[in-house]
Amino acid sequence: MIERQLTLIMENKPGALARVVGLFHQRGYNIDSLHVDPITDFKPYEFIERELNIKFQKNEVSRLIIKTTVGDTLMRQILRQINKLIEVIAVSDNDNTYLKGILRDENLL
Amino acid sequence: MKLAGNDMLIQSLINEGVEYIFGYPGGAALHIYDAIFNQKEMQHILVRHEQGATHAADGYARATGKPGVVMVTSGPGATNAITGIATAFMDSIPMVVISGQVQSHLIGTDAFQETDMIGISRPIVKHSFTVDHQSNIPRIVKEAFYVATSGRQGPVVIDVPKDLTNPDDLFDFNYPDEANIRSYNPPIKPEENQIDRVIEALKNSKRPVIYAGGGTIASNASNELREFNSYIKAPVTNTLMGLGVYPGTDKYFLGMLGMHGTYQANMAMHNADLILAVGARFDDRITNTPEKFAPRAQIVHFDVDHSSVSKIIEADIAVFGQVKDSLKSINEKLKLESSYFNKDRFSDWHNQIANWKDAHGLNHDLYKNIDDKSPILPQAAVQQIYQTSEGRAFVTSDVGQHQMFAAQYYHFDEPRKWINSGGLGTMGFGLPSAMGVKLAYPDEEVICITGEGSIQMCIQELSTCSQYKLPIKIFNINNLALGMVKQWQDMNYEGRHSSISYEDSLPDFSKLVESYGHVGIKITKNSELKQKIEEAFSINDRLVFVDIYVDPSEHVYPMLVAPNGSLENMWLSKGKKT
Ligand SMILES: Cc1ncc(C[n+]2csc(CCOP(=O)(O)OP(=O)(O)O)c2C)c(N)n1
Ligand SMILES: [Mg+2]
Repeated sequence: MIERQLTLIMENKPGALARVVGLFHQRGYNIDSLHVDPITDFKPYEFIERELNIKFQKNEVSRLIIKTTVGDTLMRQILRQINKLIEVIAVSDNDNTYLKGILRDENLL
Repeated sequence: MKLAGNDMLIQSLINEGVEYIFGYPGGAALHIYDAIFNQKEMQHILVRHEQGATHAADGYARATGKPGVVMVTSGPGATNAITGIATAFMDSIPMVVISGQVQSHLIGTDAFQETDMIGISRPIVKHSFTVDHQSNIPRIVKEAFYVATSGRQGPVVIDVPKDLTNPDDLFDFNYPDEANIRSYNPPIKPEENQIDRVIEALKNSKRPVIYAGGGTIASNASNELREFNSYIKAPVTNTLMGLGVYPGTDKYFLGMLGMHGTYQANMAMHNADLILAVGARFDDRITNTPEKFAPRAQIVHFDVDHSSVSKIIEADIAVFGQVKDSLKSINEKLKLESSYFNKDRFSDWHNQIANWKDAHGLNHDLYKNIDDKSPILPQAAVQQIYQTSEGRAFVTSDVGQHQMFAAQYYHFDEPRKWINSGGLGTMGFGLPSAMGVKLAYPDEEVICITGEGSIQMCIQELSTCSQYKLPIKIFNINNLALGMVKQWQDMNYEGRHSSISYEDSLPDFSKLVESYGHVGIKITKNSELKQKIEEAFSINDRLVFVDIYVDPSEHVYPMLVAPNGSLENMWLSKGKKT
């Protein structure tokens, strides 16, 4: 069990954050720390726009940084469960990035 | 076209092709109900409890493959719907639930009948929407149906504040042709190289088993599964949720697996060298102790849901995508290689399985040789129902021993005919879900195999059946107790029967149903079983409730030994283990 950092890009919509936090509780994972802010600079995320063929507007999406302490198998489950949330656009840990429907085995966020 | 929010909502449902709305009105939904009154395309079915509405919509969805639609008011209407939403969620059933909400300006003030429906339902929905403006109603409804019916299906809630359905505020109504949610992108096409790996694994296997579950039904892939096995001719088992997806009377069919699965199905899984999991999720009722599950098997997992794969059992080969598409592509390739599998490669394996079946398989002839010296066996009752209905009925069930007997002894040759709450195990599901099925298929035989405990959890729906003239057949496997709980108390608590008896308080079910205008039949002796069940099936214009008094001491076997057991550790009868 090691502490890991997850980064999520998700729609900045009411209730979206509660779904992520709720999912951690529901599946029995613990959140060590949580940070959320609306994304204003999209430069680092252009690959998402390219890959999913979308265009972000200011304040339309948020970035979440979550720290949690889990083993490898559980980490993969968490990523996949988060990726299933309808408002999540991308999620990444140290090793994998999940874009909707697309898995990349490197940390892109 | 300009419409008010209430009409927009209803028009959107019409545009989605909705036939039935199952619901119950109340303050926050009054504007919506007025819009329902003013249209003719859809029929609203007034249930007697919102739980009944959700189960009825769920039964409709399971039988037809189309999403079920539910309408409830805020507060208690919404909370009453929760059990049914959770039931649909656990079994991945497409459903759209519209809940009224207090007016926008009252939200957060503990207003009359206010409850945070989005919050309460969050863990048990695939997704949920709050209507924030009338002009968004068409898009939200479109998206709700799209999310509910695509990918891994599931229930979706739309919470609608009352002021946004006000008939005086008109807005432009344009119904979108398609939903486009940029952050939602369910996988569709399976990867070619994974398919090749599956075929390779098949060629190297001597003891394969196909283990197909509810996802295969959800994906409408029954024909593809049958075609698949016409090439490889492997033994097939189905989960409780998957029964019917492969013909129950086929020679390659092993019966259900898992907690109350057949001896041969569990033994085949335990001894397999290759398990092809098709739209199944390795539930704990299937695997028993995961560390001891199928120790020699390579695992292939076909699933639409990434997070289901390697959640419980690590998959060696994963094929993502709709099961139907994956099976289609594998079938395309197998067609060209059919000679490879044609020489009945697996005959040793089939022989081994036949030996297991001979040794400890279920006895399907219990209904034949019976006399009045012994009480009616619940298994024999189900067998007689199966015989008389010629195996062709839609069968809904509740939860308990009767449900397991139904799953073991009613053989389904078609998908979507066996309708039960597998994941949540919701007592009370049987009767309302049968209503949904009967509305969808008025000319088909629809029966509900229930227990005297379960039926009382939604028995108020007998009144709904009377109002809408739903001639379903209810077979109450009456063992005078919460039989499944009692079985566990017999086996694990030295027979201490804590709170499983109603003492003398059971109603006379015949009189009860007759007061609703239905027909009641009571069976207490073996010699009446056949004739009275035939009598029930001869009545087609009224609901018939057949109360069958069965042996209260009967247990369901086989039963997996837990904790710490594997799939080969089973109780085969009272006091006898493998
Ligand atoms: C709503 C709900 N409450 C409790 C349970 C736990 N439970 C599972 S089976 C069962 C007994 C069911 O009794 P009955 O319907 O008479 O069926 P039987 O086992 O006797 O055939 C109970 C209480 C449940 N599954 N659902
Ligand atoms: Mg009972």
